[in-house]
Amino acid sequence: MDCTLIQGHLIGYHFATVSDDERAEVEGHLVACTACLRTYLALKAHVDRGTTDDDVPSEAARLRLRAAVQTRFRPTPARRVGRWFTRPIPLYQGLAVAAAVVLAASLGPTLAHAIHLGPAAHAAERVDSARPSAESLTIY
Amino acid sequence: MDSDEALYARVKRGDMLAFDDLYARYAPRLFGFLRPQLPTRADAEDVFHESLLATLENDEVAFDRGSFRTWLYRIARNLVLNRARSQGRGENAMARLAPLVDDPPPAADERAAQGQMLRALDGAVARLPSPLSEIYHLRSSGLSYEEMALVLGIPLGTLKSRMNQMVNVLREELKPWTAR
Repeated sequence: MDCTLIQGHLIGYHFATVSDDERAEVEGHLVACTACLRTYLALKAHVDRGTTDDDVPSEAARLRLRAAVQTRFRPTPARRVGRWFTRPIPLYQGLAVAAAVVLAASLGPTLAHAIHLGPAAHAAERVDSARPSAESLTIY
Repeated sequence: MDSDEALYARVKRGDMLAFDDLYARYAPRLFGFLRPQLPTRADAEDVFHESLLATLENDEVAFDRGSFRTWLYRIARNLVLNRARSQGRGENAMARLAPLVDDPPPAADERAAQGQMLRALDGAVARLPSPLSEIYHLRSSGLSYEEMALVLGIPLGTLKSRMNQMVNVLREELKPWTAR
């Protein structure tokens, strides 16, 4: 490809719309031709320039936006409490809590029963019910 | 370096240093995307302001459905379209660049020729119809094809087709400056 044809393909090459064969021809030419390479680099810089100093928001606009964001997202006590409840919990903390819940669930009924009945009730329960009570003895 | 999504979360917790980082990351590119599509600099600053604030405030932003960047550009694009509908677009952008369209024929000097070609490119871009102009500016802002498809809400195949159309139009417009 000569320079005329190559330069006609530069915009398509930059936007990756050329075929594989065309891309290979363009790249091969750019390696060998500094004039076309300079043209391509100028085109690329111009298209991808993003912005010049003229194309950024003014400092006043930046400060205005910053103030708006700061006001909108300022931490408040209510937001802090809400975030504490919705914070992500590390795995080890979650596992510890889960283990505590399981332990409490398994021991809970036993403990609750013991607390409810008290020591005397425990002593009464230790009486051997197979032994006849005084009331059950009949004296003939 | 924190990701955009991490900075977004920190800003929502009131971390203004994170906002400063996010702003520095996106101000040039996003403003560069907006400025050519809006009649005045003040309009572009307003839309830039609204875009960033709306993205931060929007409860629907979820990064399983697109990156922070795609959300930001999608919202910015919608704001531009809303302004265009209410104000009318195109004429002011063309008026801004119209004097450049009647430049004299290319000079022999390479740098001068490049400058004229690039000015011709700006004029050609200003004359692009809206769907193609959007694609040019999104691509110039550094978005990938996939991100552009998400922002525009079109299939990737449709995007590539429009990209081809855009390039063909620009290539035709630049012929006098490349076919020497």
